[in-house]
Amino acid sequence: MNRRIFLTLGMSAFAVSLLPVNLKAMNFRESQPKVWSATKVEQAMIELFGTSDAIESNMKIKAPDIAENGAVIPVTVSTKLNASKVAIFQDANPESTVAVFSVPEGGIIDYSVRIKLGQTGTVTVVALADGKLYKASKLVKVTIGGCGG
Amino acid sequence: MAKKTRIKAKLKKGIITVKAMAKHAMLGHREAKKAKKDVNFITYMTATVNDKLVYEVSTSQFLSKNPYIKFKFKGAEKGDKVIISWVDLKGTTQTSIGKIK
Repeated sequence: MNRRIFLTLGMSAFAVSLLPVNLKAMNFRESQPKVWSATKVEQAMIELFGTSDAIESNMKIKAPDIAENGAVIPVTVSTKLNASKVAIFQDANPESTVAVFSVPEGGIIDYSVRIKLGQTGTVTVVALADGKLYKASKLVKVTIGGCGG
Repeated sequence: MAKKTRIKAKLKKGIITVKAMAKHAMLGHREAKKAKKDVNFITYMTATVNDKLVYEVSTSQFLSKNPYIKFKFKGAEKGDKVIISWVDLKGTTQTSIGKIK
């Protein structure tokens, strides 16, 4: 067990203990630490969902075609699926997993976050609904120094 | 870093949209080396309303600096409190409260 995982574990336990008990809180860093060190999108999907077979439909991803600044890339994921888990992956950074959302019951899936990309890469969003995986992906070009593309 | 998370929550047609921005440097491995600081980023964030969980995310170092999040949910009234808390790699936690308008 390396130091990073160890720290994460201790901290998550602390965080969970702070939350009221009626919440079914799930910290994926604690429950599935391997997901976060996966270096390929497929590998991360297998670690998280058990499979990388996903249907490419019913998911919407919004991200810029060209981002001038790789440090701030707005990504919006939305779906009408009754999903229980939504994850964002990319293939430009050393590790693949960006964020994993667990959707509370009756939650509306329309999440926006800002992410970092080290270089041009594909952002993939995956949702787990009724035991099936759905995905959507988008290529984001990162230009360094302005007017490339 | 002691600054609070900024929370804006608005009720419209029964759906509450929450926008929040956490103050955090989000130092990934590369940035941390550059800045000669330890790697540190928010790893887990939740939002609750009336003791009900409405948002939950486990995150990595690939979120941007001062992460901005937006999400929607149903089932709360005007004036209810949105409580957002996060924890980072060093175990720092922060809880901020915003009111639904």
